[in-house]
Amino acid sequence: MHMANELLSVPVAAGTLAVAAGGVGLICRKVRQVISSDKLPLMGILGAFVFAAQMVNFQLPAMPGTSGHMVGAVLLAIVLGPHLAAVVISSVVIVQCLIFQDGGLLALGCNIINMGLVPCYVGYFLYRIVTAGRSSGLRIYVGAMLACVVALEVGAILVPIEAALSGVLAVPFSTFLLTMVGVHFLVGLVEGLITVAVLAYLQQVRPDLVLDALSGRVRLSKKTVLWTLVVFTIIAAAGLSLLASGMPDGLEWSYLERPDQPDFKPIISNENPTISAADELQTKYTPLPDYSVRGSKAAGWTSFAGIVGSALTMAVIWTLASLLRRRQLKCTTHT
Amino acid sequence: MTKAIQIDNFSYSYPDGTTALREITLSIEHGRRVALIGPNGAGKSTLLLAMAGFIRGTGKVIIDGLDTAGNLKQVRSAIGCCLENPEDQLFMPTLFDDVAFGPLNMGLDPSQVKERVALALARVGLAAMAQRPPHHLSAGQKRAAAIATVLSMSPKIITLDEPDGSLDPRNRNNLVNLLTALSQTLVIATCSMDFAAAVADTAAVMDAGRVVAVGPAEQIMSDAKLMTSHGLEVPRKFINGR
Amino acid sequence: MDACIAFAQKAVKMHHAYIDKFAYQDSPIHRLDARVKFIVTIVFTAVVISLPRTSVSILFCYAVGPFAVLVLGGVPIGFVLKHILFVSPFVLVLALTGPLYDKTAATVAFGPWAWQTTVGWLCCWGIAGKFVVTMLALIALVSTTRFEDLLAGLQRLGFPKLLVIQLSFLYRYIFLLIDSAQHILRARAARAVGRIGFRAGIRFAAAMLGSLLVRSVDTAERVNTAMRARGFDGNWRTINRLAVRGRDYVFVSAAAGFIFGLYLFVRPMLR
Repeated sequence: MHMANELLSVPVAAGTLAVAAGGVGLICRKVRQVISSDKLPLMGILGAFVFAAQMVNFQLPAMPGTSGHMVGAVLLAIVLGPHLAAVVISSVVIVQCLIFQDGGLLALGCNIINMGLVPCYVGYFLYRIVTAGRSSGLRIYVGAMLACVVALEVGAILVPIEAALSGVLAVPFSTFLLTMVGVHFLVGLVEGLITVAVLAYLQQVRPDLVLDALSGRVRLSKKTVLWTLVVFTIIAAAGLSLLASGMPDGLEWSYLERPDQPDFKPIISNENPTISAADELQTKYTPLPDYSVRGSKAAGWTSFAGIVGSALTMAVIWTLASLLRRRQLKCTTHT
Repeated sequence: MTKAIQIDNFSYSYPDGTTALREITLSIEHGRRVALIGPNGAGKSTLLLAMAGFIRGTGKVIIDGLDTAGNLKQVRSAIGCCLENPEDQLFMPTLFDDVAFGPLNMGLDPSQVKERVALALARVGLAAMAQRPPHHLSAGQKRAAAIATVLSMSPKIITLDEPDGSLDPRNRNNLVNLLTALSQTLVIATCSMDFAAAVADTAAVMDAGRVVAVGPAEQIMSDAKLMTSHGLEVPRKFINGR
Repeated sequence: MDACIAFAQKAVKMHHAYIDKFAYQDSPIHRLDARVKFIVTIVFTAVVISLPRTSVSILFCYAVGPFAVLVLGGVPIGFVLKHILFVSPFVLVLALTGPLYDKTAATVAFGPWAWQTTVGWLCCWGIAGKFVVTMLALIALVSTTRFEDLLAGLQRLGFPKLLVIQLSFLYRYIFLLIDSAQHILRARAARAVGRIGFRAGIRFAAAMLGSLLVRSVDTAERVNTAMRARGFDGNWRTINRLAVRGRDYVFVSAAAGFIFGLYLFVRPMLR
């Protein structure tokens, strides 16, 4: 579920990073003004809780040997409110990337959006609709269940979209999409079940936690909400039209299919000089390096030289470093 | 001369109605080391929280001449609290940051803060661990670190809630030496009579939310009848006289 | 089930020790400014990701960069590679879709050898290779930089203050909560007598999670008390500890030269 760098192209990665940064930055600014600073340690510790919670596993039905665990975004949104939960989950995603190397550095934008911003807000929104302010047992559970399934599905759907826009994977868009939707339906169900079970436990032990007592009153102005919706609609429309225009697998795929037209111009022209330079680079490389389509052996030898040279360099660095270290140890032991 | 701590008829009940403190009247002079002893649930921790102004009850709590109701910032500079669990007190990424937290909040500038941190860490013997994160410290070191975080604010009074909890004998002895070397007024809540006897010169016995006896430590704690009737025992130091 | 727990525990223990062990050593790399290392890592990652899909050999050349950083920083390479293997499953699955879906024929020439394969396989190796190289860079960054320095660097680079505070608390209490979770799991394992079925399993897991949550909330309240007791009034104050020095400029120039020099090396290979 965590996206790796290698599934993305640089433009898509940059775009999602910008969106994620903008979103999180906006939320942080609004929240900081309104939230009591009493909540600061709570947010941090609940973030740590999410990590710990992902370690508590349980047997899945009809699937011997496999176990499921909780993701936690929707539970956190119910307990903390969507804004604080979004900040907490974003921090969890960042730490997962930096410290546990779960998800790539450039994919942070995507991961924050797919697993943080979208599930928290979508989940909370649905939960609120179903419970409509009344906190009777059944409504809470139905709301939580629905919220988990839908929130995780929406987050999951974004993954093939982002991958398709990047055009790195060879998998056809529809296959990827269907697989993600299918798998995450199950994941969403399991998440819903465990979330409902935890909420039931909390209702007995600490009902104040479920009754929204921990979330602060943060009001995003109507204008911000409207503009965000507009931006998202534009992005979605552009993305969908791209996909619908007969190029289901992104820009690069189309290059690959036309090796006999090396001057093939990209369909979407780009004013940005860096991106068009990158595009030009990609158009030029129809005889892909490492192997010769046109029969020239030169490319093969260059890569050979490259690899041998790198291996030698690494060996030299290694030897130098170990010699230095041995000398350091000798110096310290002799004094 | 102003007392270090002056509590007049202070009462407090939890939100669910149970009474935690009943009409507490207590007076502690500067420089004293007070052991707050009593059975579990007597209200010792709650009383310590009241001293630092964390609880709103009826009656007055006056710290170094300041009423806690209304002078919180000054009161919190005058009285430093060591909580029961040092993990709750060491919440910054490094020990240095934790010890610097207090002085920074007091508004001191960076050079002063660094000076205070160095002094406090030297006092507790943790100068070498300044750049370490808290989870690298052992249990005894964490306890000492928690005390350092309070020392750097140069308070006049320090309260400690069960500081000897889960410490092995060596670390406990280190703690005793550390505390007896401090010049501040100390209020130490503890369940260990031996520890209390080693550190304190005054003892206050609490039971069921009341202070039932106050006086010189040796006098109070050698009173076997008093000790046992409140679920305590006479410390080894005071058995058989001396 | 118990195998899962054991695996998870072992996994976390590996991370537990790994995160701290190397970041607290000392080396020329460790002494570089966190901001510089972070920016170089991002640029490096971006350049590697933007390489053509099927350029595999150039990736090996790019690997020299993070390799050098790791070796100079005193981080054992074997450990790093094992760790990369550990986090690779998802990417490997996706990489293997390449050969499945793209069967365009291609001839690979490599030095004196040549063989037939498909573009799909090349893409597969490309993805796997990029993964390894970018992971090497990320691990190089994280194992030679203390987390608090990294956070301080990120704040100076413009991260929102709330997020930095959040990350600081999160990092501090992760170990505590993971230990609590391990205690709970051990307690459950001690009481488990054979299979208990899905519904009971969920109920137990929910109770464990619920109690962990409640404990977290209580801990947070006590931490807040401790903060207030030391005079916290809502303003998060820190001492600035970062400074860009001469050696940082040396590192940046070396890195830039390496990254972009290699990129220019790719161009001739493309004709």
